[in-house]
Amino acid sequence: MSTDTKTPTADEPEAGETPESKPNFMRLFGRYLTEANSVMVTIYSLLLAFLIGAILLIVSDEYTRSTFSYFFSRPQDAWYASRDLIVESYTALFEGAILNLSTLDRYAAGTAEFGDLLRPLSETLTYATPLIFTGLAVGLAFRAGLFNIGAQGQLIFGMMGALIIGFALDLPAVIHLPLAVIAGALAGAAFGAVPGVLKATTGAHEVISSIMLNNIAALFLVWAISTEFLHSETKTDLITKPVDESAVMPKLLSGLSESLRVNWALLIGIGAAVFTWWLLSRSTFGFRIRAVGFNEHASATAGMRIGSTYTTTMAVAGGLAGLAGAALSLGVGSAGITTNTALEYGFDGITVALLGRAKPGGIVAAALLFGALKAGALSAQPDVPVDISTLLQATIVLFIAAPALVKAILHLRTPRGGLVTLEAKGW
Amino acid sequence: MAVDTMTASPALVDESVPVRYAKAGAVFAALGLFVLIVAFAVVGGDDTTLVRFDRTLTDAEWAMPTTVVMAILGALTAAAGAWMLAGVPKRRFKLVSAIAVTAFVFSLLIWAYSQPGTVFRAESILAGALFLSLPYLFGALSGVVCERSGVINIGIEGQFLMGAFTGVLVANITGNVYAGMVGAMVAGLLSTMLLALLATKYQVNQVVVGVILNLLALGFTSFMYDQLKKAEGLNSAFSIPTISWGPLADIPVIGPVLFNQKIFVYIGLVLVAVVWFLLYRTRWGLRTRAVGEHPAAADSMGVNVNRLRYWNVTLAGLISGFGGAWFTIANSLAFSKNMTAGLGFVALAVMIVGRWNPLGVLAGALIFGFTTQVARDLDASGGSVVPGEFLQMLPYAVTLVVVAGLIGKAKAPAADGVPYNPGDK
Repeated sequence: MSTDTKTPTADEPEAGETPESKPNFMRLFGRYLTEANSVMVTIYSLLLAFLIGAILLIVSDEYTRSTFSYFFSRPQDAWYASRDLIVESYTALFEGAILNLSTLDRYAAGTAEFGDLLRPLSETLTYATPLIFTGLAVGLAFRAGLFNIGAQGQLIFGMMGALIIGFALDLPAVIHLPLAVIAGALAGAAFGAVPGVLKATTGAHEVISSIMLNNIAALFLVWAISTEFLHSETKTDLITKPVDESAVMPKLLSGLSESLRVNWALLIGIGAAVFTWWLLSRSTFGFRIRAVGFNEHASATAGMRIGSTYTTTMAVAGGLAGLAGAALSLGVGSAGITTNTALEYGFDGITVALLGRAKPGGIVAAALLFGALKAGALSAQPDVPVDISTLLQATIVLFIAAPALVKAILHLRTPRGGLVTLEAKGW
Repeated sequence: MAVDTMTASPALVDESVPVRYAKAGAVFAALGLFVLIVAFAVVGGDDTTLVRFDRTLTDAEWAMPTTVVMAILGALTAAAGAWMLAGVPKRRFKLVSAIAVTAFVFSLLIWAYSQPGTVFRAESILAGALFLSLPYLFGALSGVVCERSGVINIGIEGQFLMGAFTGVLVANITGNVYAGMVGAMVAGLLSTMLLALLATKYQVNQVVVGVILNLLALGFTSFMYDQLKKAEGLNSAFSIPTISWGPLADIPVIGPVLFNQKIFVYIGLVLVAVVWFLLYRTRWGLRTRAVGEHPAAADSMGVNVNRLRYWNVTLAGLISGFGGAWFTIANSLAFSKNMTAGLGFVALAVMIVGRWNPLGVLAGALIFGFTTQVARDLDASGGSVVPGEFLQMLPYAVTLVVVAGLIGKAKAPAADGVPYNPGDK
């Protein structure tokens, strides 16, 4: 029932090598590599996922598929076609996410600015920022044994909360921006608390209720954008008013180039990760979260109020997701939000939290990876289907969530403490 | 309050029972009062609601006074609530709540269709409701087969997507729409097989994996959709004929609803009976239920728990995969990204509402199908006072209310979602 549960497996850890074999570094390292510990499972999950992605790219590409039809007469055609396709696709992802090699050439030749060189990285960080928040929102709830699928809805409400304060008030930037951010967090928290309250008072499973709330929030957004209060005064399509200049998140690297979109929300995100770490491992409330997540019955016996822990945890989680919404409506969506601004950040938060194993540091790292995938996929389309990022993400976390599968596929050893998996409760 | 339960020892009493009656009673009483207030204060005294049997008796139209009918239905709802507050015998509770819900829903309907220019086209709406209840029905039946054996299938949404995508693809490749349906079933089977393997052999958390499998299905189908879009004619819409039962189709109300539908409707209804029979009247069903409630006991009686779960979950994929074909083939649509729009999750709620019982699932699916159909009809007629987005929210809101309010403490199979490791006994 806890976040990190040791799953006992049938086969015992090997009883060590023969006595005379002295443990040296290489042997230990080799042993570490072939063991299903959490680091190696993560690495192998990534490798397996990219392998599966490669296979799907080959299978679904018409030209490459056609070379396989005469595989037995000219196997080298199929080999070269597949190799080129994979190299091109994954290079395109890399160039969109980390470093564009042709820009590097131009930079070396003196025709490109240093800022241009940073653009892919800036895009990665821009997409990673909301993921940090939503990943924390899902991860924090995980620690209390709650599966918060509702980050998408919480994000949408956070987006609207920040937007309304962002354009409706007229304040100096020093007050306006923080106020808009807080409004986003509060709106998200209020919406996030609902599944917590429902679970605490009626026992309704948070997965079902938060999925319903996601759908309701998405429809609500469509309606809200079309209302006179929010709808843009100058444009006719479904877009809201822009936020005031005083509530826009300043860009981090505007000194280098205006096109670098990464903004201060990234710093708030890292701050939120530190806060979540502190909350979980240093505060009384965090202790309660972990205790309830570990064993709710024991916690109840110890005098903790389970219901209020569920409610507060979901509210804090909703607040974190709401911050993601604020980051969007005050950042990349500051010119007005559409139904498309939220993308799938809330759902991606689930995969981020799983890959980061519900630990703040891991979540930041996972958010960076998935942000890179997203930035890469968006810049590589239409040559590479944009959904390759979703596909890779889901495959990676599938393996993360089922370490036993990775262990079986690669014939890894069971680590000393057993396999580590994430858990949430049944109905 | 159910007094007789108070005498039993506290450990054995389901303490939620009297509480739920009080809560449900209060809710229904409040809803009934709300309807009464609307009937007298909001609705105009001369307002009428028009009902038309639009497919068989096309000329007949029936006008009823909105205020009077609403007041009767509101009083009925409030009375049911008051009875629950006072204490209803446990075995009557279901009946009373069913009456209260029905009365409340109909009072809202009569209100909604009292706007000038709107007509309640009874036959179209009921026939459409049955048709729209099918995704919920297939999804929830698939869930029942899984969860009765103790495996949570949250991946119905993903199985729908796989079925919807593969159905169209296979139909286009073979040129045969029925081959497409079989293809959809196989796709569903393959996706649940992965869940079955992970849930039994690898003992992973079923809720987490189910959600991931949904994402995987979404990513996979969207990815393949983009890739195959480049190739011509792999994602064209196919349609299937409506089966008309000759003179039976001309009977008012029953005819259009039951005897003039697509094959999906008949398969769905037969499937309810088949799953019910299998679950409650066969050895397989007894074993399934035993494994879902107390796997260790079933194991000691010689049932291979994990093998039974594996096959139950795998075969349930046939049902949800076929449900996926509904989205494309039954609706004569081509596949589009994320076209299932969360209905797989609503199906899960339908399963809970139906209390893991095929007949309950049928009732729940019909309610949801009806809500969806009415929302669509009102939205299309333009006579609605409520914005279309709020009408589209209805199925989700109803799910939320039902899961939270009425059946908050619905009893899942005891071992639902708990992996079984024979070594742990």
